[in-house]
Amino acid sequence: MVTGEGRIREAVRVWLPIGFFLVVALFPFYWMAITSIKPNSELYNKNVMPLIVHAPTLKHYVDLLTKSSFLLWTWNTMVVAVVATAISLILGTMLAYPLARMRFAGASLIAMTIAAIYLVPQPLLFIPLADIINHLHLGNTLTSVILTYPTMLVPFCAWLLLGYFKTVPKELEEAARIDGASRLQTIWKIFLPLCVPGFISAGIFAFTLSQNEFLYALIFLTKTSVRTVPVGVIAELIRGDVFYWGQLMAGALLGSIPVALIYSFFVEYYVSGLTAGSVKA
Amino acid sequence: MTIATERLPVVAQATRRRASLSALLDRQDVFSWLMMALPLAFLAALVGYPFFYGILLSLEDRPVAHAGTFVGLRNFVADAHDPVFWQVAANTFIYTGAATLLKMVGGLGLALAMNQHFRMKNLVRAVLLLPFIVPTVLSTVAWLWMLDPAFSVVNRLMVALGWPRPGPSWLGNPTLAMVSIIVINTWRGLPFYGISLLAGLQAVPADLYEAASIDGAGGWARFRFITLPMLRPIILIVTLFSVIFTFADFQLVYVLTHGGPANATQLFATYAFDIAMNGGQLGLGASVALAMLPALALLIVLLTVYLRRE
Amino acid sequence: MTGPATDHATTRRGFLKLAAAGTAAATLSRPNPAGAEGKTITILHESSFIKPFDEYVTNTLAPAYEKATGIKVNYEVTSVGSLPTRISTIAETGSGADISMNGLLQVIQFSNKYLDVDDIASDVGKAQGGWYDAGKEAVVVDGKWKAIPFANIGQLMNWRTDWFAEVGVKKFPETWDELYEVGKKLKAKDHPFGFELGHGFGDNHGWLYPLLWSYGGAEVAADGKTVTIDSDETARAVDFCRKFFKDTMLDDALGWTDVSNNKAWMAEQISCTNNAESILWFAKREFPDIGKVTDQAMNPAGPKGRFHLLNDISHSIFNFSPVKEEARAFMRWLMDPKQLGGWYAVADSYYQPLLHGYDNAPMWKVEPRNLPYRDALANAHLPGWPAPASRQMAESVAKYVVVDMFAKACSGTSTKDVIKDAAAQLKDIYRSA
Repeated sequence: MVTGEGRIREAVRVWLPIGFFLVVALFPFYWMAITSIKPNSELYNKNVMPLIVHAPTLKHYVDLLTKSSFLLWTWNTMVVAVVATAISLILGTMLAYPLARMRFAGASLIAMTIAAIYLVPQPLLFIPLADIINHLHLGNTLTSVILTYPTMLVPFCAWLLLGYFKTVPKELEEAARIDGASRLQTIWKIFLPLCVPGFISAGIFAFTLSQNEFLYALIFLTKTSVRTVPVGVIAELIRGDVFYWGQLMAGALLGSIPVALIYSFFVEYYVSGLTAGSVKA
Repeated sequence: MTIATERLPVVAQATRRRASLSALLDRQDVFSWLMMALPLAFLAALVGYPFFYGILLSLEDRPVAHAGTFVGLRNFVADAHDPVFWQVAANTFIYTGAATLLKMVGGLGLALAMNQHFRMKNLVRAVLLLPFIVPTVLSTVAWLWMLDPAFSVVNRLMVALGWPRPGPSWLGNPTLAMVSIIVINTWRGLPFYGISLLAGLQAVPADLYEAASIDGAGGWARFRFITLPMLRPIILIVTLFSVIFTFADFQLVYVLTHGGPANATQLFATYAFDIAMNGGQLGLGASVALAMLPALALLIVLLTVYLRRE
Repeated sequence: MTGPATDHATTRRGFLKLAAAGTAAATLSRPNPAGAEGKTITILHESSFIKPFDEYVTNTLAPAYEKATGIKVNYEVTSVGSLPTRISTIAETGSGADISMNGLLQVIQFSNKYLDVDDIASDVGKAQGGWYDAGKEAVVVDGKWKAIPFANIGQLMNWRTDWFAEVGVKKFPETWDELYEVGKKLKAKDHPFGFELGHGFGDNHGWLYPLLWSYGGAEVAADGKTVTIDSDETARAVDFCRKFFKDTMLDDALGWTDVSNNKAWMAEQISCTNNAESILWFAKREFPDIGKVTDQAMNPAGPKGRFHLLNDISHSIFNFSPVKEEARAFMRWLMDPKQLGGWYAVADSYYQPLLHGYDNAPMWKVEPRNLPYRDALANAHLPGWPAPASRQMAESVAKYVVVDMFAKACSGTSTKDVIKDAAAQLKDIYRSA
């Protein structure tokens, strides 16, 4: 039973602030989109209103997809993200389960160590890691990033899964144990299937973090054929000292879409993952 | 018959051994440590080992493609004498402090605005998270163009309102350049704060507010004495994680200004990168990267103290 | 593509001389086909601004070499800016390429992994008119040639002839002071200058080091140990730079990186900048109207002379390469006028040869506006000049010591303070010299 005045009130109360945040959040993407369909003559033209396009062209997208290795980079990025996420979920589970369900000496020490590791950022490690990767002859292989991405993902997955595991009721596992199942059987058959939402949460978070990684990729992956989208777009859409701005914007937009799309299917899980670490802490 | 009876004790022993082995494995502590062995080994090899190796590197003179020579604290002494090092330190603290404050306040505002009922709320929530989801370097490239005074919408507006052309130089003026990276970092990280705080707000029981208004508490009082205290744990956790990542930020500066103008936006991570990868001085670069450690260690201590209080 | 035989001289006698020398060199350098089956030489190069330049190797040179010797040539290209990292990996792991391109810092940084190539350099120099001093400066470490100089990618003045004409200037100014006066007038007409002062790699060093030298200043003395930045000459250069920035330039230039001035040129925001040939090349193709009024000139002179940045590229052979001898033979073949001349010609003089034999090559006739890049070779130097190349020079360049000294002055810090800071940094860097 909302009156006309109530509706206006609602619009102001809700849509004024929300609208503000939406415009601010989306404006750069709009810019990317607009610039990517401008022909060079308009792109570089400072006298034209930059927010509209007069003679849109798909040339930059065509060039990006045919003249650069963008599709290959997208494939690499997906492969790395999926495998690194899988590794992180498995290792994260192996850390989180004992901490959630078992009592043993040293548990709190392990918990703190994991938190501490999470707080050792990549820029602190990249120089020694570059050395190590070189000596393992893993330079310019996707393996180098598949191995190193979990270092930032495992602690977070462990943290998030720990919070989630604690909310799963113990009764079912206890019943299975009474019936004679081993610990491993209990975990595999009873416990893990109940945790799928937690895995999706942690997984989607790890996946988006992998897509965002740049520093290790910049240093370990210098060959075009093994590059991921962030490095490829920044480092390769340039000749000499001329950026291919149109392609760059097209690449930026296309590079954002897969991540955004995948994430949009799992938003609920993503949000609960984001907040699980904080609310349940 | 004799063979069977002779065998019995052996079999019994074996069964007892098997039973005791699985009993051993079944013990909570043994099982736990076995399960954690692989991930712990992984982290020890790829985080622990590089960490200590990094410390060793920082104590060496190690030009690229040459062997390292131990030089003790000489790199750190060199850093202490380097005026740029101190500028970098100041930049990093200012950048982290300002951006975190803005994200916290802005995030709270976003959470409060979102904590209402309206149609398409879920869609809005998804869209609002985009800046955080999308790879940083890609969105920063758009900002690079948007901040060019000749193309910037803000500059055009200012010029239309009377500002002398071409308007402020967002990436050329040292102060404005720092403002720019703070703004972009805030743009990127605010959704993370906002959505986390929103979950916290939604966890506050409604009857607490009802009871308070019955007692005569106004909107502001309810906010100060109910909302804020209940949000405190989330604010703390989110802030600690966010501060770590902002302090160690690399991507944003690398793409936008590469530390310029005149080191106004140079941070620890980007300075270490230049020294190690362009200058070829791995030991010196490692020493700059390690300089982040004292501040980060302080935060680690705060976090673990907070956790233990749980 | 130009035919190889007529590349080298305009006079018939000159041609015959060079051809004779070339044939002699070719005979000396004919690769030995024995045992060549199945061998591969991998060359690492940074992707060229001129795409046909890279294609020339894969489509013309490599097949020709394989036909002649049976050895495969694998040309690997890495993106702009990734070369140092890539060479690091190869040098540290001892595998990945046999020959590598160097930018201006890599020869000194990796000299202990590179083969001595004195003999090849000497023969090539003798056969093709002798090396420019700049070429020697770029590749000699401790008296040994650690690379074969290939070319310079000059950083010179780009200027808008139409706008300069509007203020009565038909020829590019000779001195910094004259340029300053023109800039003031042009800024008043909304056509300011824009010289990079930010954290790029080429367009900032390309004018700031020459500016410093042209006033008589320098980072370090010729002994490579004594820091000399704290001098009256430096102060004069800094003072000039400050007023040059304030009175002639766009504010934004303070934060510019290498791509910024190219962008600004095409957007018609600036009338003068320091850049390689990329602006003219790009303008001619994408914005012909702008290309028509774009010209190039040498850096202006200061009280102590005219200077340019030596932004050289060269080729080195890794001393751990399993095909060292084959690589040497290949280098000789590559540096033969038949191959070298063709390769240079494909790139529209974007690469300025460091051999005097090419001073009058037909490639300079293709775009006369590029001639100043050739003339600039006479006074081109590495950033550490007058000291020889050193790891300290690399550290100073990576830390932007000179660039930031000027940039900080332009943003308001006093000359005394910026020199003090630069001196403190350099003393620290050169303490290990």
